[in-house]
Amino acid sequence: MKVHIFEYDLAMDMSAGTGRLIFKENGQIIAEEGTEVKHTISVANIEEAVVRAGVGCGLLFVKMKTSGDKSNHVILCRFTMSGLVPAGEFCKIVNHYIRTGTAAIPETTEKRSCEKCGRPLVKDLSVCVFCYNHLSVLKRAGSFLKPYAKTLGLSQVLSMLTLLAFLSSPLFIRMLIDNYLYVQQGTFAQVALIGVIMLAVSYSGEIIFIITARMFNRAAVSVANDLRVATYQKLQSHSMSLFAKRTPGDLIRRIMDDTGTVGDFITDLGRWMLELIVLITLSLTILFITNWRLTLLVLIPVPIVIIGMYNFRLIMRARFERQWRKGAKVNSILHDIIKGIRTIKAFGNEKREIEKYAAANHENATIASQNEVLWALMFPPMGFVTGIGEFLVLFFGGWMVLNGTISVGVLVQFTMYLGFIFWPLRVLVNLPRWIANTTTSMVKVFEILDDESEITEAASPKNVPIAGEVSYDSVTFGYKSYEPVLKGIDLKIQPGEMIGLVGKSGVGKSTLINLAMRLYDPNTGRIAINDTDIRDMSPNHLHENTGVVFQDSFLFAGTYFDNIAYGKPGATYEEVIAASKAANAHDFITQTADGYDTLIGEGGATLSGGERQRLSIARAIIKNPDLLILDEATSSLDVETEALIQESLDRITKGRTTIAIAHRLSTLRNADRLVVLNEGAVAEVGTHSELLRKKGFYYNLVMAQRQNSRKEEETA
Amino acid sequence: MESIKDQMDLGMMDLNQATFYVGEGGFTGLRYKGEDYKHIVLRRIMPIDQPLHYISVADQENKEICILKAVADLPQDQRDIVERELDSRYYSPEVLDLMSVKDKLGYVYMEMRLRNKQGKEYDKSCAVKDVSRNIRMLSNNSVIIFDVDGNRYVVSDLGALNKQSLRRLDAYLF
Repeated sequence: MKVHIFEYDLAMDMSAGTGRLIFKENGQIIAEEGTEVKHTISVANIEEAVVRAGVGCGLLFVKMKTSGDKSNHVILCRFTMSGLVPAGEFCKIVNHYIRTGTAAIPETTEKRSCEKCGRPLVKDLSVCVFCYNHLSVLKRAGSFLKPYAKTLGLSQVLSMLTLLAFLSSPLFIRMLIDNYLYVQQGTFAQVALIGVIMLAVSYSGEIIFIITARMFNRAAVSVANDLRVATYQKLQSHSMSLFAKRTPGDLIRRIMDDTGTVGDFITDLGRWMLELIVLITLSLTILFITNWRLTLLVLIPVPIVIIGMYNFRLIMRARFERQWRKGAKVNSILHDIIKGIRTIKAFGNEKREIEKYAAANHENATIASQNEVLWALMFPPMGFVTGIGEFLVLFFGGWMVLNGTISVGVLVQFTMYLGFIFWPLRVLVNLPRWIANTTTSMVKVFEILDDESEITEAASPKNVPIAGEVSYDSVTFGYKSYEPVLKGIDLKIQPGEMIGLVGKSGVGKSTLINLAMRLYDPNTGRIAINDTDIRDMSPNHLHENTGVVFQDSFLFAGTYFDNIAYGKPGATYEEVIAASKAANAHDFITQTADGYDTLIGEGGATLSGGERQRLSIARAIIKNPDLLILDEATSSLDVETEALIQESLDRITKGRTTIAIAHRLSTLRNADRLVVLNEGAVAEVGTHSELLRKKGFYYNLVMAQRQNSRKEEETA
Repeated sequence: MESIKDQMDLGMMDLNQATFYVGEGGFTGLRYKGEDYKHIVLRRIMPIDQPLHYISVADQENKEICILKAVADLPQDQRDIVERELDSRYYSPEVLDLMSVKDKLGYVYMEMRLRNKQGKEYDKSCAVKDVSRNIRMLSNNSVIIFDVDGNRYVVSDLGALNKQSLRRLDAYLF
């Protein structure tokens, strides 16, 4: 027998413990706490299974059918917040069984722990933060380099030439000293020739460096740009659920900053690191070949430098992070003050805000100053340690020169190559941090690229005309799987019919239209147009034939023309004028300085609410949509403006399938049918007068609104 | 002019007319002013550092019935019921030791030793995102840590935390 098990982690008395809720496909629920069976309940006796989130914990209870008493609820288990989503899944399966009599038990449940180390995976992350492979992530990022492989390969070869030129200078100096200056042999021409060769090598190196830097920079910008575009394209193809679980700031940071970090690392920081590693390796090789004993001596301080710099970095990193956070707090306070200056002045709180800002600034300055002092104190000892290497070269090298083991030129060469080892080492101790920062950014970018959209396009879309019957068949949906907003909705909308959706706030009206626009897909059930599931259509086809007006429509920076034509790219002048006339927007547009070419500010901030709404109506109807959706299109407007907009809406909804939500019930009076939602289900359907006669939910809503209006009139 | 407090009915609980009880299904109920609310919800309103003050009492439709000013004002048996109900709604174990705090992929990953209200000690690891918001220092030298799943953990006295744990947490306190 198939079963679905939810393992919970709190006992009934809230002590940490373990237990299982088992749903069997024959419709039985067993609640076990430890080894003890606490409840055995048949689903036939249950009205609904519910998850309730508390603070830091939650509980799962069932509403029993056995009595008319609304409070006959039984708590089955408690859990920490880590169990909230699985508990929701459990309820979904039970409630599906209650509605349909069938057990929709999934074959497998999503594994949320790392296969390698067993640690639970962090919510919203698909990789284990401990086990992800830096190299595989870097390798994958390397795939974005393919289009620029030739440029990067050539510039890398040229870079190595620059490096060789740089590395050759101590060899020339050694030759100059040992062959000509120290022995005082040779001619001025020979000395000058070496000088000229050194100059030529050095200048060639600089010229090649300029060329390669330009080549690398271009590639870096292109790689970052490719990553950005790929991430942005992926975002656009996603359902709204991705935007609900990630903040705009988070997404913008991933598209702009993280892709930039990856691009910089691949082509700039990575190249630099490679050069430094080659520089150290070649310098060491030359030193070992020249005199391996002296080389071993000069390397004595190297481990001390590496360990010292690493520990110093750890200390400073924590301190600088704290400083960064203090700085962020100062910025945040400043941001709030400037944004809310009107409120601050109106309440006369300028002095308090100044003090708040000054205190935060002082804290930031204090920690910054402490960090600077520590930085200044810590660096000289590190310089002293590296100085030991130079001292050892001079001490033992000088002794070797005096007893004739090595020449003066070799000693000078040693000192110069030593510098080529120590200063890159100081930089390279940051290597783990750079790699960690870059892989962090890469994982963030790849998370978006790998995130499977919940809205998928059918392989062979059936793009039937949208001007047909729209039907909701047993549709259940929740933004969070454990909190269903719509529960088993069945509704049929005839072609050309205007449906008004009515109900209290939060009953699922907007959710119902979000599903019709396929911004989300139902958890169970289907929405069909002309008997074709909208999931079998191409989303583009659906959106091209659907017009929508939101309560707070967003206008883009641009002209009136741009904003209206946004609804139909390539629209003609006549189409734009026709749409704006239908939306009663033409008259106010023509009164502006440049008519349809007048620029409107970002978000349409310079326009009144009514003007913004008329533009968004024009934008919605310019494509002459078969299905029109009005989501509180007139709610935020005054009565006079609403009348103006209502007139245009009456005109454009005539004969067009329309689903409308309105806060003011009077605006839906002319709807062909009203659908009243209550607690996520359809409670009543009928015309305005039918529902009034029924004296049910709708009647109560109308009466409540009338009472409010009367009160307002009396107060006025 | 009288203060806003005097102008408004705050709906403070009349202790003489209130009786809390635990129903058969495990839910807490309240008999109040002649009504029997079989399934109530208790919510801490404020202040966050005084968890047994200003408790909003609502029915199962989330409609507020009244506000209990201080749990200590109730008789002992009633106080036990209310505290038990609050403990089952607010779960925030005490942090005894922070064995490890690491920055990983933009998350702070913590391995902790915890103790719950029943005195049971256990280990737990959690990830914290956006630490400036989710590691919250309170005015009374205590700290609340919120993890990505929505769990919360409390350090009720920073001074009582061992030195190593304090040093590990210190970088995130401000």
